[in-house]
Order: sequence, then structure tokens, then C-alpha cells
Amino acid sequence: MTEPLKVLIVEDQALLAMELESLIEDAGHNVIGWAMSSMEARTMVDASEADIAFVDIHLSDGPTGVDVAEHIRRSGRSMVVFMTANPKRIPDNFAGAVGVISKPYTMNGLMSALRYLHEGVRRPPPVSALPAGFTLSPAFSTVWAPSTA
Amino acid sequence: MDEKRTREPPDAWHMTDDLHVEHGKGDPFAAAIRATRMSMLITDPRKPDNPIVFANDSFLRLTGYAREEIMGKNCRFLQGPDTDPDAIEELRKAIAEGNDISVDLLNYRKDGSSFWNALYISPVSNDKGELLFFFASQLDVTDRKQSEHRITADKERFEEAVKERTAELQAALETQTALLHEVDHRVKNNLQMISSLILMQSRTIKDEAVRNSLATMLERIEALSTVHRRLYQSKDVSQFDVSDFARDLVSDLLAASGRPQIKSKLDLEPIVVPADKATPVALIVNELITNALKHAFKDNAAPGRIGVKMSQPDGHLIIEVSDDGVGMNGANGDASFGMRLIRQLGRQLHADVEWRNSTPGTHVVIKMPNGPQSKGDAS
Repeated sequence: MTEPLKVLIVEDQALLAMELESLIEDAGHNVIGWAMSSMEARTMVDASEADIAFVDIHLSDGPTGVDVAEHIRRSGRSMVVFMTANPKRIPDNFAGAVGVISKPYTMNGLMSALRYLHEGVRRPPPVSALPAGFTLSPAFSTVWAPSTA
Repeated sequence: MDEKRTREPPDAWHMTDDLHVEHGKGDPFAAAIRATRMSMLITDPRKPDNPIVFANDSFLRLTGYAREEIMGKNCRFLQGPDTDPDAIEELRKAIAEGNDISVDLLNYRKDGSSFWNALYISPVSNDKGELLFFFASQLDVTDRKQSEHRITADKERFEEAVKERTAELQAALETQTALLHEVDHRVKNNLQMISSLILMQSRTIKDEAVRNSLATMLERIEALSTVHRRLYQSKDVSQFDVSDFARDLVSDLLAASGRPQIKSKLDLEPIVVPADKATPVALIVNELITNALKHAFKDNAAPGRIGVKMSQPDGHLIIEVSDDGVGMNGANGDASFGMRLIRQLGRQLHADVEWRNSTPGTHVVIKMPNGPQSKGDAS
């Protein structure tokens, strides 16, 4: 179909990052970097051209995932999707992020989310239905899923 | 009755400037005022500084003054250092305007001791509307005032104590909530890690049967994870929406099956179960749906249909999962473990589990008691 996604993983748990990387590559996309802290994440964002960054809220230097999202928004380089076990920490405006995949996610849920995001990045708005485990931010909800907004 | 006194005009006593002399002695009303236990005064606003022109004995007893000390004086000698200036101003205004007034005032006796005076003053005018007198009565309400103050002080003390206790409880609640969030966060992360470990392991396995077995294991763990995620995302952690869970599970599994020719038919009433039943119910639902998907349709290209129905007639939850596949005869070892799981969980839930071999396919009915439904469903 369309060009695969270039994905940046921002996650402090090695195991989860590793598995996420496998799933993303199984789905035919490319993982171009893995950052464990907000510092690493900023450097990678500035140095690379990721289409999308999966960002955990809790990183190795604390609950700094929202700061990373803000940084990416200011850079205007890529989209952000939060991946967190603590979605209540996400600010109301989602710091500009597309949405959130709440942990624990299922393998199928993540695959559906990847398909949905692939469409959303390459040919917005997505044509697939919004996957069950994926919540859109209010801003993207009005653009990508106007009927459910 | 004394002849001489009765000859006085009945109202003579209040038409004179000096009421404490003999005038009015024959008037029963005047006698009553002189003798009553209620402290009473009359002042004359037509004279300079509105002086006292009559005081009864009760007034003298209340204030400790002798009659000659107070006659001809303005009443303000009763005021003292702690008398409320606002109350005095209120009083002054009423007198200046010729209105009546009722006010509680802190007054002082001759010996300097204070008492609370429930003062009532009313103007007395003649037929032409000219102001002649002010009539004042005093009631010692010190006891009442003191208990009022005591009650106010008690109330403030209680309110303070309640505020402190509330703050303590609030702090305890916040600590507990933070702790709960932390635990919830860790449970979610750990569930995610268990899934990741299984997935990673299964990637290294060549044997398809073992890989399938791990995949089934993963689905069960993911069902548990989803229950946990949904419970702690909802506002009410004590109740679990089974219908929503089933709807998402079916769309999730069908999307992942890569078999678009299999369609689902959902007939789901909104049904909640208590949190303690959430896990077994979710596991049963997961088992029924994955079983149907995996084992009912042998021919990968043939069309198929999975039906899920949930209803709750008279205090029961009924879950029905049906397919139009090959029926139960095709069940292999993995499916029979799935059936055992369903039976055991069914026992835990006091559910009746019924497998029907329908033509074509399989129809499973789970019927379990599900208490009186929660608020909102009472009608």
C-alpha cells in the first residue's frame, strides 16, 4: 500500500520497547530509534525524520513524556501517540498528540491502531474504524472522526 | 378605694413632667407600671437632651442607682466601654426619627458591672401626632446572651474540630488514591510485560502447535488485561460492562483474523456485572468467541457468521455465542481445555452452561444469576 511509517519509540521499559519494536516491524513499518529518557528523545526528534512517535508518560527521568510531546509539537516534525498505563496524566489538550493507546494494550489492538495511524499519516483522514484500544485527542477527533466527536 | 385619689383624671400621671411624685397614684395602669418586675423608664424628648422623667423601682434595682441620681439625665449613662457603637447608633437614629426599636445592648450598673439589656423603646404621641414621651422597658437577658455566646463558641469549636478532621481524612484519602494509582500503574505495566514476554518467546518457536498454544495463552492474558484496563479507566471501579467488552473483543479478534468473510452479528443489551465477577465472565466470553473463530471455520475462504447475544431477563445474565461452522465434533485438545475452563469458571459464577449442536454449527448458552441490576434499571 503506501509508504511504511518511520517510528520513534520513547519508552523506559526495555522489554516493552523491544516488543513494540517487533510488532511495529511485523506490521511492515520501520523503527528508527528508541529513547528511554526525555533528553534522548529530544535529541532523536531533532536528528531524525520520524512520522510518528510512540511516547510513554513515565520515562527514566520521571513523568516527562508530556514534555517530550510538547517538544515534538514545537518542532513540527512528527505526530505523537501516547502509550501509557496512566492516561489520567495526559493534559486536556493532549499536548498536541493524536491520541493515546492505553496500556495494557492487546496485540490485535495495537495492530489495528497501527493500521489506523498509517492511514491517518499517509492519507488522512483514516478510513478504518477507530480501534477499540485507541482514544483520539479532542483536536484530532474533530478532524479524523467527526461523527464521534 | 381612696376617694381623693380617684378624683384625679385617670391620665393625669402621664400628662405631667414629674411622674415620680404623687400624680397618677390612683391610676391602676400607673400603679402597675410602678410595681411591675419589668424595669421601665419614660423620657421627655421635648426637653433638652431627652431626659428621664420617670423610672420605676425595678429600673433602680436593675441598675443600682438611686432615683435622684438618674432623674433628669439622659439614659446614656448606662453605656460603657464595651457597648456596641453600632447598636448605640441604631438606637440614636430610632429616637431621632421617633420610631420604636428593640435592641440588645451591653449596659453598666452603678457599681461598674455589666448586664445584657433587651431594650425596647416606643414613642408616645398625642392626638395631634406630637411626640410627647419615649417609653422604655429593660429586660436583663445576660443569661440568654451568655448561653448564646457559649453556643456560638461551642459551634465554632466543633466546626474547627470537624474542619481539622476533614482535612486529615482528605489527606488520608489523597495518599490512598495516589497509592492506588501507583499500584494500578504497576499492575498494568506488568500485564503488558507478561504479554510482551509471551510474544517474544513465541517468535522464537518453530513448532506451530506450540506457537498456537502460546497465542491462546496470550489471548487469555490480554482478556485479563483488558478487564483491568477497562475497570480502572471507568469512573466506577466496582462495575464492569460486559457488553462493551464483548463488542470490542469481537471487532478486535475479527480484525486480526484476516478473514473478512467471517461476519459478526451482535445483539447486546447494556449489562454490567460486579467487579469480582468481571474476570471470570470476561474469560468465558473470550474463550467462547476465540473458540468459535478458531475451530468452527475450517475452510479459510468460506463465509461464516459468529453471533453474540447478551440479555438479562429476571435477575439473570444470559450470554449466547453461536456460529454456523462445523460444530463441536471438530474440537481438538486445545478446544477441550477451553471447554473445561468455561465449565470451571461457570461453576464459580453459579452459571448453567449448555452446549447445543445446532445445524449447522454450535450454540453455547451461559445463564448466570446477576443480582438485582444496579440503579437506573429499577424501572
